[in-house]
Amino acid sequence: MKKVSMYTLSTCPWCRKTKQFFTEHNIPFKFTDYDLADETTQDKIMRELDVEGVNGFPFVRIGNQAVEGYQPKRFAELLGIGSGAE
Amino acid sequence: MNIESRKKALRYFFAKVVEPMGFKFTPDAELAEFLLEQEVKLEAKHGVPFCPCQPIRRDRSRDMKIVCPCIPFHREHFDAMKRCWCGLFVHRDVTDPNSLPQVPAKEMGIE
Repeated sequence: MKKVSMYTLSTCPWCRKTKQFFTEHNIPFKFTDYDLADETTQDKIMRELDVEGVNGFPFVRIGNQAVEGYQPKRFAELLGIGSGAE
Repeated sequence: MNIESRKKALRYFFAKVVEPMGFKFTPDAELAEFLLEQEVKLEAKHGVPFCPCQPIRRDRSRDMKIVCPCIPFHREHFDAMKRCWCGLFVHRDVTDPNSLPQVPAKEMGIE
């Protein structure tokens, strides 16, 4: 199974939906809430996202692929599962 | 701070800013209430109502571009999506906000 990790914001409903998507599909994932992280961690995340050209959250890595935003169809496609219903 | 009264004030102010740009509050009332509450809390913490779905970088010039309503700074992108990134605002003609996905600007060919 592909490894899934994500950067999220505790204030963002789409980040919550993203976590819910992976939970409902029984896909284990790691996440860091950027806004709750310490400044050193935030700076590290920002350097990573700047390289990717990412501006909005959620930011999800599925294997070696990256997805910006709540995109359930894309998540399902990258995971090779059927349900990407919005 | 009274969260409900501040939400009401932000609603009043935001409507005046976004309506001339062709946007309105999302018809998803539950989403709008949640986002406004997050913005009130962000405003209490940081002094301005930042977007709840974009990261605060501690870089003033970049952070000012995510103060709600941030539509003027992302106009081409948000016009193409017919919504703002967090979904608090949608184009005036939108009746089904759930049909509008988040799509990064670069995936729409927008710089």
